[in-house]
Amino acid sequence: MAYEDYEVIVGLEVHAELNTDSKIYCSCKNSFGAEVNTNCCPVCTGMPGTLPTLNEKVVDYAIKMGHALGCTIHNVCKQDRKNYFYPDLPKAYQISQYDIPLCEHGHLDIILDEEGHTKRIGVTRIHIEEDAGKLIHGDSFQGSLVDFNRCGVPLIEIVSEPDLRGSGEAKAYLEGIKSILQYLDISDCKMQEGSIRCDVNVSVRKKGSAEFNTRVEMKNVNSFSGAVRAIDYEAHRQIDVLESGGEIYQETRRWDDAAGVNVLLRSKEDAQDYRYFPEPDLPTIVVDPQRVEQLRQSIPELPNHRLLRYMKENGLPYFDANLLVENQDKAAFFEAASALGKVSDKAVSNWLLGDVSRLLYEKNLTLAETRLTPEKLVEMIALIESGEISNTAGKTVVEEIMFTDATAAQVVDARGLRQISDTSALEAMARQVLAGNAKAVEQYKGGKTNVLGFLVGQCMRASKGQGNPAVLKEMLTRLLEEM
Amino acid sequence: MQIDIAHIARLSRLAIEEDKLPKFQSQMESIITMVEQLPPMEDAGIGLDPEHPMQLRKDEVKPSMKRDEILKNAPQMQAGCVVVPKTVE
Amino acid sequence: MELYEKSAAELGRMLRAKEASAAEITESVLGRIAQVEPRVGAYLTLTEETARSQAARVDEKLAKGEALAPLAGIPLAVKDNISTKDVLTTCASKILYNYVPSFDAFAYARAMEQGMVLLGKVNMDEFAMGSSCENSAMKTTRNPHNPDYVPGGSSGGSAAAVAACEAVLALGSDTGGSIRQPAAYCGVVGLKPTYGSVSRYGLVAFASSLDQIGPVARTVEDAALLFEAIAGRDPMDATSIPHDYTGLAAGIHAPVQGMTIGLPKEYFGEGVEEETRAAVLAAADALKAQGVTVKEISLPSTPYGLAAYYIISSAEASSNLARFDGVKYGYRTPEYSSLTEMYEKTRSEGFGDEVKRRIMLGTFVLSSGYYDAYYKRAKLMQNRIAAEFAEAFAGCDAILAPTAPGTAFRLGENYDNPLKMYAADVCTVNINIAGLPAVSIPCGTGKNGLPIGMQLIGAKFEEAKILRLAAAYESLCGGFAPAAIVD
Repeated sequence: MAYEDYEVIVGLEVHAELNTDSKIYCSCKNSFGAEVNTNCCPVCTGMPGTLPTLNEKVVDYAIKMGHALGCTIHNVCKQDRKNYFYPDLPKAYQISQYDIPLCEHGHLDIILDEEGHTKRIGVTRIHIEEDAGKLIHGDSFQGSLVDFNRCGVPLIEIVSEPDLRGSGEAKAYLEGIKSILQYLDISDCKMQEGSIRCDVNVSVRKKGSAEFNTRVEMKNVNSFSGAVRAIDYEAHRQIDVLESGGEIYQETRRWDDAAGVNVLLRSKEDAQDYRYFPEPDLPTIVVDPQRVEQLRQSIPELPNHRLLRYMKENGLPYFDANLLVENQDKAAFFEAASALGKVSDKAVSNWLLGDVSRLLYEKNLTLAETRLTPEKLVEMIALIESGEISNTAGKTVVEEIMFTDATAAQVVDARGLRQISDTSALEAMARQVLAGNAKAVEQYKGGKTNVLGFLVGQCMRASKGQGNPAVLKEMLTRLLEEM
Repeated sequence: MQIDIAHIARLSRLAIEEDKLPKFQSQMESIITMVEQLPPMEDAGIGLDPEHPMQLRKDEVKPSMKRDEILKNAPQMQAGCVVVPKTVE
Repeated sequence: MELYEKSAAELGRMLRAKEASAAEITESVLGRIAQVEPRVGAYLTLTEETARSQAARVDEKLAKGEALAPLAGIPLAVKDNISTKDVLTTCASKILYNYVPSFDAFAYARAMEQGMVLLGKVNMDEFAMGSSCENSAMKTTRNPHNPDYVPGGSSGGSAAAVAACEAVLALGSDTGGSIRQPAAYCGVVGLKPTYGSVSRYGLVAFASSLDQIGPVARTVEDAALLFEAIAGRDPMDATSIPHDYTGLAAGIHAPVQGMTIGLPKEYFGEGVEEETRAAVLAAADALKAQGVTVKEISLPSTPYGLAAYYIISSAEASSNLARFDGVKYGYRTPEYSSLTEMYEKTRSEGFGDEVKRRIMLGTFVLSSGYYDAYYKRAKLMQNRIAAEFAEAFAGCDAILAPTAPGTAFRLGENYDNPLKMYAADVCTVNINIAGLPAVSIPCGTGKNGLPIGMQLIGAKFEEAKILRLAAAYESLCGGFAPAAIVD
């Protein structure tokens, strides 16, 4: 049996909680982690006679996401009720959208590899809906407990076409969606708090086949790495079934990430009949076309586009470009530094992702909270590139210019960090070092040329770090040959 | 029109006693016969009325209700939560 | 004439003239309740203490010379599906037998802001589903004109209480005729307002797109006063529509000369009792003598209204009533071993048969494979019916029709025969389907001594026109007498 003979087809339904101030249909606070049942009112707990009122921010945010994914925006649309019984759904229906979603027919270009090859994944639709509450289980009490705090937290559901092949593409898609949500600042994207969740549809087919086979839906996938595991597991399960002459049934399975397996939740025969119908409590949503356009113009350059631009225009490798794009502050800083046109983009990226990021992490700060400006960093890099200071000295300089108002030149002068490139001064120093390390000299002569590094280091020490190591290395080699 | 009353009852989360099923069945069927008098209609979309657009709510937080007040009608409570039969094994 | 027999308008005048205090008015009505309630059975909950303290507050204000709202000090009965904070709101259902809301319905809050006095909550068909009050899980309410007859429904308690002078005014709700039909059966005035004119916030939903709260009164002016008090845009109800009704009650006695009334032939045909037809036509003639033009019109889709109504209302009800599951409030079955069993037993024990029938009908018409054939077709029919009314109103100011095909029926007569019971709604449902206002007023007495009612239907937000015509007829016939309660 050969798994590689099969193609794995994946479609994803991503649910993202929106970071509005209030809930979708009432004015309760939209926040995570409050004490149980304290962010609740008669509306979000489904008390008899209460009615929903739609939060305008939810519509704006969904339209923004629609623009970001190149969707058609249905500025005239409606909401529908999805009816099912469950204790975390107090009204016994979820207000969602059925046949006319707010956004439709979009796409996301995912990046397939480090060369920057892309693939266009179709986005079927984006609709708005409300989240359900949470059930708490435990051994210390009989039954399950219901916490309604999450009821009415606004969600957008982003449904993809079955265009993804295998878990790798699925992961790239999920990361793409997540970074867009973050760029638009419409979702906190905190996986551990469940602010992004997904349902995964998987089917398999022999490579070369154009038919779609029966698909299986998996629920309870709560992380991107979990999605990869769930897809791989389910694909193998289906291939095993087919290879042993079995049949795949249209069913819903529940992913158990801890156990690394999925189990049957319900078969097609038990398929839920949600009895969708237009929500009579909410009139037609009509968004002014001018508002739709205004929202389109508010969309920043999207992360995938930016990443490819960094690779193509700035010559950064995929890994660096990706790290920069992940953090909008750093990306903006990089672009400002690059725009100054004084030093190499790669050097800027290296410093930003290296020492600067390390110091931010150690001190738990953001870039904006430091004194570092693109101008100051570029000035420092220019000093290195011109050979005026060493790379090692740069590490000292960067820390000071990040946390004080001093410029790089001021730090270099104050601390005497300028490199000595004056050969006569260096030659005297080198001769002294060679004289004092007769054993090393002997070893070098005996063929152990790697002691050269040690000798350079000794010279650097003697120069208190100000010697130009490149010049010293060349000089030491010449002097040793002469001996 | 034959209605699968047992299926509809299940969907509605109603347990209809066996002896009452036939009565419900025939009453439901007579109602369905009545509603089937509706003539065929030209197909058109339903549910959209852009002439009367909805007024949306500003995204402003208002105080929630006290937990004791919001859950004062709950049949069973524990640790500030409503209790239901176990939903997972 | 006792205080409890007087109209709200008259009582308001007496209060301001210091001819009666709010306390006296309230005591008079409470006394009347004590006297006749055993035979009428309108109330599910009495709130005498609340009533007395509210009345006392009005008297205090009056003593201090503070301005009073038009309905201050007027005793009010409230249908038990309208949420009243800290007062039981059961919808006459076992499933909500112990439910106490933590908030007020908008319309009720508006009435209380006026300084009205809450007497208590009144009976209804369970969840407003029914036309006789016999579907109440709580008690039987009798027609004050004859205890062997139903008061109508679903706002039977509201109509019976007002007709028996157990309340000066009442709030009801009308989804398919639930204010107008009991008003007709009990010989009082009942107004079903334009959909969206009164907030539904706090009205326990039956069919969200059709439900509307409205007043029940003994005079047209009183109905207008209460309607004016409760109407208005509510930010908590997205379907509520702003419309300025200021001066509505003050203007109802304006002359009607030159107005045009349409008589839709479909409302006078087969199925309508002869005495009802004759009484409504006689009322039309009386108005004609006042200079009103009367013409025959046609609303051809009328016969389809009942089917469309039962599909739409049941579909919405099946969803609206799904929240009664024993989890958050109300009844929970005592014994169960799983979640599904808890749901099914709670709901089966908590709901009455009529509610179950409608939930199942609604579930069926929305279920997979049937949506287009039933729900969608009914919604399309709804558009057609609304369009026919709109067209009719281009040529007339109001439409006059019987409120019900006949007078009240006997208790038990139609019980357990859903189709016959549903036929009682045939004249009223189309008005809800089209979202229009209509007021039912008495227009005579049947052979059985029970009142006959007629309704004046208006174009959207034209309550002023239909109330003017109703008031004109009211003064022509010398006013509507309350029920003479006989032992």
